[in-house]
Amino acid sequence: MTARAGADVPVEASVEQVRAQVAAWLAENWQPGGGGPQWRERLVDSGWAAPTWPVEWFGRGLHRDLRRVVAEEFTRAGAKPAALDVTQLFANTILAHGTDEQKRSFVRPLALGEQQGCLLYSEPGAGSDLAALQTRAERDGDTWVVNGQKVWTSGAREATHGFLVARTDWDVPKHRGLTFFWLPLDQPGVDIRPIHQVTGGSEFNEVFLTDAVVADSHRLGEVDGGWRVLQTALGFERLIMGAAAGGSSRQRRPAGGGETTLADRQSPWTRQIGGADYVELAKKVGKADDPVTRQEIARLYTLEKVNAWNGLRARADAGRGASSPLASIGKLAMSRIVHTGVSVTTNLLGTSSVLDGDTDPVAAEVNRSSFAAFVTSIGGGTDQIQRNIIGERVLGLPREPEVDKLVPFREVRKAQATRRFS
Amino acid sequence: MLTTGQYLGSTGRLEATVGTFEFTDDHEALRSTVRAFVEETFPEAQVRRLMAAPSALERPVWERMARELGLQGLVVPEEHGGAGAGPVELAIVLEEFGRRLVPVPFLSTALATIALTGGDRAVTAGYLEAVAEGRVVATVALAEDDGGWDAAGVHCAAVSDDGDGGAGDRGGWRLTGTKSFVPDGMDADLLVVAARTPAGVGLFAVDGAADGVSRSELEVFDLTRRLARVRLDGVAATPLSAPADTAAFDRFLDAARVAVAAEQAGGADFTLAMAVGYAKERVQFGRAIGSFQAIKHLCADALVDVESARSAAYYGAWAIAQDSPEVATVAPLAKAFCSDTFFATAQTNMQVHGGISFTYEHPAHLYYRRAKSGAQLWGSPRANRDLLATRIGL
Ligand SMILES: Cc1cc2nc3c(=O)[nH]c(=O)nc-3n(C[C@H](O)[C@H](O)[C@H](O)COP(=O)(O)OP(=O)(O)OC[C@H]3O[C@@H](n4cnc5c(N)ncnc54)[C@H](O)[C@@H]3O)c2cc1C
Repeated sequence: MTARAGADVPVEASVEQVRAQVAAWLAENWQPGGGGPQWRERLVDSGWAAPTWPVEWFGRGLHRDLRRVVAEEFTRAGAKPAALDVTQLFANTILAHGTDEQKRSFVRPLALGEQQGCLLYSEPGAGSDLAALQTRAERDGDTWVVNGQKVWTSGAREATHGFLVARTDWDVPKHRGLTFFWLPLDQPGVDIRPIHQVTGGSEFNEVFLTDAVVADSHRLGEVDGGWRVLQTALGFERLIMGAAAGGSSRQRRPAGGGETTLADRQSPWTRQIGGADYVELAKKVGKADDPVTRQEIARLYTLEKVNAWNGLRARADAGRGASSPLASIGKLAMSRIVHTGVSVTTNLLGTSSVLDGDTDPVAAEVNRSSFAAFVTSIGGGTDQIQRNIIGERVLGLPREPEVDKLVPFREVRKAQATRRFS
Repeated sequence: MLTTGQYLGSTGRLEATVGTFEFTDDHEALRSTVRAFVEETFPEAQVRRLMAAPSALERPVWERMARELGLQGLVVPEEHGGAGAGPVELAIVLEEFGRRLVPVPFLSTALATIALTGGDRAVTAGYLEAVAEGRVVATVALAEDDGGWDAAGVHCAAVSDDGDGGAGDRGGWRLTGTKSFVPDGMDADLLVVAARTPAGVGLFAVDGAADGVSRSELEVFDLTRRLARVRLDGVAATPLSAPADTAAFDRFLDAARVAVAAEQAGGADFTLAMAVGYAKERVQFGRAIGSFQAIKHLCADALVDVESARSAAYYGAWAIAQDSPEVATVAPLAKAFCSDTFFATAQTNMQVHGGISFTYEHPAHLYYRRAKSGAQLWGSPRANRDLLATRIGL
């Protein structure tokens, strides 16, 4: 794939040229300690927030290999690289499947954080088997009327819109009757209720859709062609989840301080799956010399490193409009990392790991992240589903027999479509 | 409902199976009695209510447990008003309580009772009777702020009032120090406290209402097991036996390890049953998720662990009943293995349930919390394996 040439940096730009360009732009536009809406606007309009997006859509048209160079220069200057071309899954998906009109309307507000998305995919009866979803969208002239229930919708209360997948044809097999929309949430037909989570918070929600309305101009891709769009969006999500804590266990985000990046706000979960700083913790609890601890931490460090390196390779493979099977490896590997991290940190704390809350904030953090580990192993496609994907799509193993694949959805054995959790 | 009381009446006393490592019909009857009681008295809604209440102890229920089922008196000798049963029967009861996360201070009281029965009857008779009658809640205060669960972790100082403080000193004693991670420490009327005398570590009885006792509840991860920090400031105490009887102290620790292991085996067993039940019922891709080998194999592997955990806990209880030298190895083995198994099974259960397991309303997290925290109490798996390695000759 050849990316389009940027305004002042061609695709073939050398690393040195890009470095100089970024440095020059930062020297002119970035004040240390800066940030805020004005900076963000300048950053987005400069194209450096998403270096690989096309020039006409807020990018620099750079080859993906140059992302790292851009990020390095930002970091050197003390500015956070936005890397929206990796983390902004909504804009990424719209750029891949949207019409020019849709790109014009949605990409910049998303990049600026003026619009925020959530993922209205899962339903009480359709999780791993997303194609079995039962929320229906019915056409009414230039609009669609939507009825059904979504669940586990992270960040729905903070979002302005949602990627909605709904059934538009019940008489064809399940994958072929789905359509993908960018649904505005601020309307009477959308009722968002927080779900009380094991972590104590309520990042996720259930969303009841009762005659909710979405314009046909907000449809992404073809009518009944939503499955393909969904695959793209899921690919971007896996990429984020696989990379979220990749190699970052040593770079703990400073508590409280610092501006949150655009990427931070995109996924309320990425904050929670970053690891603790095991090395510091081991020293603090006096176990730095304990041979078992040393083995465990070295092993965990290794898992994180190799996954980060896998991630670099996977990103290189993730072209637009197609999900990368390599990304499945990253997410599955991350699941092992976060769950291993839980046992390492729990072992480090020992008895005090039973504490929680203000009594022992370190234990509280370890315990909370022990739940957050399930965000990785369940959310965005469970470990079991990732293994199926790897087995079938990467290794080319024969597919599991699917009893409902060719049957009109109307006739398929379904799980209950609605269930109240809040 | 057949109560243990009636049941005990009909057979005279419960006996540990000798030599066969197999449950008798009487044991099975005890199990079904306790299971019925627990299911009736502590359904999930009640457990959650007690979780949110200021205290998980409701005295009328506690008294009923003693009066009608004789549970607190199970391992209290008959001459002190108990059933004179042994560690095998206790393991059965704890397993059943563990299955339902029963939040009443039964394990704490049982551990204290084990300590009391190992002490001088001249000192402990009164306490044992009170326990058997359901008049008191008891607990053991072993660990301190640094979280050690053996003699080395005991810094709380025991000072003799008048005597020489030597091994034979039975006079009045005073304890000063801080105990932590004390299960049900807020509710306990009687605290069995591990303290250090000039001659070594010993167990002391302390009245919870005595002058100089101050307690605070700890904020904990496991919502169904409360822990407290207890400050002792020159508190009057009575040694349960000769203060430097380290053999008695070790015997107590091993018995505690096995008791906790039995409770964990019960939790693991129930957790697996939850996972299997859901796997049969939840439909995705037009079929029950249990029909996918990924799920089937997770459950099958968990069963291997859970059954092994039960065997370890039962064998440990049996070894104690036999007063077998194997106790020294089986006890830390069982605690480590049952801890690991319960936690792994609780993880599997969360995974099998998918998104629902992340909701507060679903019980999966309550078991996960119990498993994760319980593993670290009464010695972590790692500490217990280390002890096992030493005891098998490494
Ligand atoms: C913290 C969190 C945040 C989330 N955020 C969002 C969100 O923002 N938007 C959204 O739409 N969804 C979200 N989800 C939902 C998530 O994508 C689903 O929970 C997930 O896909 C699993 O679906 P389920 O919960 O219905 O479990 P199920 O699909 O019912 O799975 C139950 C078990 O069956 C296994 N299983 C199912 N099918 C197979 C198979 N074919 N082979 C082997 N095993 C199988 C699963 O691995 C799992 O162990 C979130 C979930 C979590 C936990």
